[in-house]
Amino acid sequence: MTFHFTPVWFIAIPLLLAFLAPLWVRWRVLMPVLFSAQFALFALALSWLPTVRIAPVLETIVIAPPLGIHLHLDTVALLFVTLFSFAGAVVSGFIWLGNSAPHLRDRPAFILILLLIAGSNGMVLTGDIFNLYVFIEIVGVSAYALAALRRDKTALEGGLKYLIVGSVAAIFILFAIVLLYLQTGQLNIAALARAFADIPAQMQLLIGLLMLIGLGIKAELFPFNFWVPDIYRGSDSEITALYSGVLVKAFLFVLFHLTFILLADPTVARNWLMALGAITMIVAELVALRQQDLRRMLAYSSLGQVGLITLALAFASEMTTAGALFHVINHTLIKLLLFLLAALMLRQFASLKLADLQGLSRTMPIAAGLFVLAALAVLGLPPLSGFVSKLWILKGFSAAQTFWPIALILIAALIEAGYYFRWIRTFYAPTSTSTRIQSDGERILNYAPLLLIAGLLIVLGVMPFLLEDWLTQAAQALLGREALLNAVLG
Amino acid sequence: MLNFLDTPAVLHSIYLIGSLILFFIGLYGLLAKRHLLKIFVSIEIMELAVYLILIAIATTSGETAPILSDGLTAFTGMSDPIPQALTLTAIVIGVAVTALGTSMAIQYHRLTGKVSVTEMTELKD
Amino acid sequence: MNRRIPLRKRFRVHTLLLIALCGWLLMLHLTLLLNHGLNAPLNGVGDIYLSRNAETASANAVTTVVVSYRGFDTLGEVTVLFLAATGVGMLFAGGLGATPAFRDRNSQPNEVMVTGTRLLFPTLLLLGIYIVLHGHLSPGGGFQGGVIVATAFFLRMIADSNFNLDHAQLGWVESFAGSSFVLFGMLGLVFVTTASFLGNFLPHPIAAMGQLVSAGVIPLIYLFVGIKVGAEVGAIFQDMLESNSASSAEEH
Repeated sequence: MTFHFTPVWFIAIPLLLAFLAPLWVRWRVLMPVLFSAQFALFALALSWLPTVRIAPVLETIVIAPPLGIHLHLDTVALLFVTLFSFAGAVVSGFIWLGNSAPHLRDRPAFILILLLIAGSNGMVLTGDIFNLYVFIEIVGVSAYALAALRRDKTALEGGLKYLIVGSVAAIFILFAIVLLYLQTGQLNIAALARAFADIPAQMQLLIGLLMLIGLGIKAELFPFNFWVPDIYRGSDSEITALYSGVLVKAFLFVLFHLTFILLADPTVARNWLMALGAITMIVAELVALRQQDLRRMLAYSSLGQVGLITLALAFASEMTTAGALFHVINHTLIKLLLFLLAALMLRQFASLKLADLQGLSRTMPIAAGLFVLAALAVLGLPPLSGFVSKLWILKGFSAAQTFWPIALILIAALIEAGYYFRWIRTFYAPTSTSTRIQSDGERILNYAPLLLIAGLLIVLGVMPFLLEDWLTQAAQALLGREALLNAVLG
Repeated sequence: MLNFLDTPAVLHSIYLIGSLILFFIGLYGLLAKRHLLKIFVSIEIMELAVYLILIAIATTSGETAPILSDGLTAFTGMSDPIPQALTLTAIVIGVAVTALGTSMAIQYHRLTGKVSVTEMTELKD
Repeated sequence: MNRRIPLRKRFRVHTLLLIALCGWLLMLHLTLLLNHGLNAPLNGVGDIYLSRNAETASANAVTTVVVSYRGFDTLGEVTVLFLAATGVGMLFAGGLGATPAFRDRNSQPNEVMVTGTRLLFPTLLLLGIYIVLHGHLSPGGGFQGGVIVATAFFLRMIADSNFNLDHAQLGWVESFAGSSFVLFGMLGLVFVTTASFLGNFLPHPIAAMGQLVSAGVIPLIYLFVGIKVGAEVGAIFQDMLESNSASSAEEH
């Protein structure tokens, strides 16, 4: 008998814990189990870093690739798994310690959050395209149900919209997978990549288009992201933090992983994806200017950052990719912070409209301070980590003598500054509107996860070299098509 | 006289065209209908069309089911088992999503009395 | 009512035209599939699975693929169903809450229904169990059988207004089956002979192919899938029925 660590644990352990939910309900330990599971997986992922950096781990399930399903843990996958587990730990810690609403501490929420993270891990790890579809559905169904968790009008409306849009996206993805199988007779992504060039060009285009529509809807890219703000507005902010921090990142990874692997020459899709990213970024930032509701504003701001990440990843140079991966980390941390702040504000104020939040800094000084910090990090001001990642991206573009993205990114940052400062000015306004519904004082325990994130933002901003090697290697792994194909297929 | 219908090319064309028509009926319903349940039905039709394409194109006439029984002793001349397994998986997933969707629609109707997507304006500003 | 509306108003013409255009374009593309796809993938994964299927000693190649070669997909699929059942349970719980479901007395099931169900219930139950247990020998398996078993109970629920499935018990059954599935997968990882998640670690001699006890862990895993699917679908039925009777009770 042997007993060894494998990537399967990132999926199997959360599944086991979720299936055993009645046990945790009986012992009244739902939230501790949720938190410690995420934290343990986070610790496990970090402890694995030295091993994975030497050589990627390839875990075969039942039958060796290209026949069977396998999990592929390389540096970039590990980066995302670590990030997701961390986000899960922060959000569940916040729900547990911070006295969130009862429906977020119940059995359904436990199962759904646990499996949302497990599904995202699976999407990043799996090396089989149909298995990818199954994980997309796991993530999808838990996200639909989470959106409706509060069970009032707005939550159900958000959930329904999400479910309809999401299942249509899943159909397009499934269609593309079916066509791929019928054309090549393969399901393993690496084997598909070898066979993809033999498919007639028109068919390649069709498959690519179907995939792009499906994944574009899920990853919230421009023409397909009309639904996002409604859902972000309708769900609980704790859940929205997971959408923005985990879900979108997992789909972005899948989109670019498939692009880089399937296409022998990623420059084919480069201009299209870059244009998509640029339009997403500019349109979202412009719309965010006009938003009167904090959660809608954050949703559009999130879309803008997704556009920026897409723009940088699509360029596919090592420098911009590393910068984009760093920005993925930063954006997850920042949006976790902002949405959890929104959750705290929603407990004290009746609504999150701009007009109702005037003078917030007096009643919630820590929250207002953290909001300022997060806003500065989004804008990319030193010494916060957003500065470093944006700098890497800009350096990558200028090294390649491509200047239009730089101009667009700077314009987007200016627009961002415009609306974030409008909110900050409102928070620090001298007059206060009296819409507070309750005041249970500022419990420091509520802020513990938030202060941790804020600390991380500063630490990563001051010492980006902590992550630099890992990120560079991750960028190489994401772009290294041949290395991956050889590792899987031999 | 109708033997030519049994050639794979003709059969596959019929299946393909039929499934595609189904797919676009579903797409039309999705875009044109406003009732929540009709939208779920449309989504189901689209899913079904995709399953049909997978199953129909991957099987040629004359192949048997990939199961040893009735005197069959070797796995030869059988249809590809993968599309069938994939379809089974996809059907179960589709059912799960639809069950969740209809439950949400029922609950939403009970709370608001609305059944149409155009009336869902709670979240707009 | 509908007939009064003129035809062109009942259809959205612009949408219809758009769809027709898309359909025509896609159709042009897909003729390629017919020309290219048919004779190309002769050495696809499916054929290799078929030729290697004897290794697992399961007479049903589809079951081999579903439970063994692509068992990980099945685990995910069971999870999706589990999530949906959780979601449905969440949506319908609470508001009706701790009070036991109140069935509407005015919609008493008719005699045909009651008698028919009495006749059908044991048969359906037996059929479902048979299909689950023979998943590796004949068409069918855990999903199909599990749904049939759940349908049998669903008929009971409709026919007999006092018949209820206990949610807590269903939860325990489902929890047991689900965690057994994962634990079996992990056992495959632990044993040296397979050393892979969901590996077939029980003896599966090829000589036994076609017998009830054959193919190692495949029938066992399919049994867990069957129990889990049955419990989940049963729970969904129960939830929907309870909510339905509760809402009709409100109206009266």
